[in-house]
Amino acid sequence: MSIIKVRDIKKVYNKDQVPVHALNGVDLDINEGEFTAIVGPSGSGKTTLLNVIGGLDEPTEGKVYIHDTDMFSLKERELIDFRLHHIGFVFQAYNLIPVLTAKENIAFILQMQGRPQKECNQRSMELLKMVGLEDKIDKRPSELSGGQQQRVAVARALSSKPDFVLADEPTANLDSASTANLLDMMLRLNEEENITFIFSTHDQRVVDRARRIVTLVDGRVDSDEERISNNEQVPNSRKN
Amino acid sequence: MKFWSILKLSWKNVWRNPTRSGVVILAVVLGTWAGIFSTGLMNGLSMQYITNQLETSVSHLQIHHPKYSEEYLPKYYLPNPDSLVKELTSYDFTQSVTARSVIQGLATSATNTFGVTVKGIDTETDSTVSNVHTYLAEGEYLSQSARNPVLIGDDLAKRLKLEVRSRLVINFQDVEGNITAGAFRVTGIFDTPNSAFDESTVFVNREDLNRLLGRKNTVHEIAIMVDNFKNADQYRDSLAHATNLEIRSWGDVSPSLRYTDSNVDFMLYIFMTIIAIALVFGIINTMLMAVLERTQELGMLMAIGVNRIRTFSMVMLETFFLTMVGVPVGMLLSWLTILWVGEVGIDLSAFAQGLEEYGMSTMIYPELPEGYFINIGLLMVVATLLAAIYPAIKALRLNPVQAIRKV
Repeated sequence: MSIIKVRDIKKVYNKDQVPVHALNGVDLDINEGEFTAIVGPSGSGKTTLLNVIGGLDEPTEGKVYIHDTDMFSLKERELIDFRLHHIGFVFQAYNLIPVLTAKENIAFILQMQGRPQKECNQRSMELLKMVGLEDKIDKRPSELSGGQQQRVAVARALSSKPDFVLADEPTANLDSASTANLLDMMLRLNEEENITFIFSTHDQRVVDRARRIVTLVDGRVDSDEERISNNEQVPNSRKN
Repeated sequence: MKFWSILKLSWKNVWRNPTRSGVVILAVVLGTWAGIFSTGLMNGLSMQYITNQLETSVSHLQIHHPKYSEEYLPKYYLPNPDSLVKELTSYDFTQSVTARSVIQGLATSATNTFGVTVKGIDTETDSTVSNVHTYLAEGEYLSQSARNPVLIGDDLAKRLKLEVRSRLVINFQDVEGNITAGAFRVTGIFDTPNSAFDESTVFVNREDLNRLLGRKNTVHEIAIMVDNFKNADQYRDSLAHATNLEIRSWGDVSPSLRYTDSNVDFMLYIFMTIIAIALVFGIINTMLMAVLERTQELGMLMAIGVNRIRTFSMVMLETFFLTMVGVPVGMLLSWLTILWVGEVGIDLSAFAQGLEEYGMSTMIYPELPEGYFINIGLLMVVATLLAAIYPAIKALRLNPVQAIRKV
């Protein structure tokens, strides 16, 4: 079942009065439980597409539906609230709040949703356990390694039980071991919890583990391949 | 829960950079302390000036014959002064009352002459209204044993080259308008903080003066001290209904004192506002830095669903916390300083001559009513919150996509 429907998305930036076409009519459906990597060369529109799907950047043309909600028909306040409740974000630079502990960083989203403190604590503990950091609950980001910080970021993204998680180059700042650990963890969450992950990435290690690979070139979907398992391409995958 | 989380995060953000926050808090503490202490000092100076004038010469209320203050002639004395004094003493607001005969005369010594105001007083009651006796520098207060004793100021003593026991002749009009003169013996010399008063006023026994004026129990002026000098106008109005005599409050007698009193508040708040403005710029700078260095983090917060109101509130709360740590500490320090310096005083005797020419004491005792502390505290809080608006708006205007990518 499609949880995200991207329809004929175009995005034009005016950089120094010169129009830059970042997305040139992208159509994409993401189904529940998919583990999708959006790949492509620099400037192909990966991050822009992710920002549009995440409701952070309004497209110049086209529609994005999340569970049939036309995201950009929402008012600004509704859209922010929609992100809070329906979308999980993982950023390249982790972007944890430095003054909060790992547990507090995760609980923060739940607190913003107005959940009771007891539930916030319980859920934060659950998630830290899920990402294997139950012994780091009171550590601040500065006391964690890059890989650990990114795990906390994933736990934070999952805290509100979002419809899907958007991860923009999540492994870009990690070493090989941390990348492998993080991907193992995400794949496990995908398989066991049926969590939908969408990555934008340059990282071949991520591409190798992805179940679906959408390749963007010049703001268009160039290819969209599905794999039954890692490194195995679906025979009838579509080439755009 | 949502507000509590923002509140908690703001508080933690304040201590993210302890040095910077410490410097800002120190600036707020020092600004508040310096502002309140200086205000207390200026207020103390003004209040001392006013009370000095009231207690040495003006008093709180004065009652005269309706024509007396036009010409200051001895013939304009008060009718039935004893019953009037008795009636005035019975009012609840009255602290003390004294009757005086007051004339304008020419004081002559062996070497010089000078125009003076001669106050004929009853030493016992007058010392409850005027504190001149506390400024006795030489000799003694009006002695009842000596014949025609006179108390003069040190400035007049210098001008006329007089000492204790010197002879002084005063020429003036009697109640019939005839020129008369009296010879007096200097028994004491006073030195108040008001050199103009010291030069132009002499005190004699009312009985002696009345004898020379040619009428027993002559009273030109009834001086009254009330429970609170700030209410003098109100008491004047209530007394005015009961008599056709001229009743003047201290503000009517000395408009310059009234002006000083009414402007002291205004001047103090102007002064504090200037200090607050200086602080505002410091806080704008700090909060702008705090916002700009956290661009990425603020962008992330907006991206994950922290709305603009909460982002704005967070920056405002951070400033509020900085202020709320600094202002109470500054207020406490200034209160302690005013309390201490208000006891020991600040000795400005090096500038004694200049200060006395303006009727000011050489010892300054800062004082500040509690109301000022609250108002100044509120002024500081409002000023700093105003200072936070621009950085908070700056945070609001961040575009999450661009902010997250900012390094």
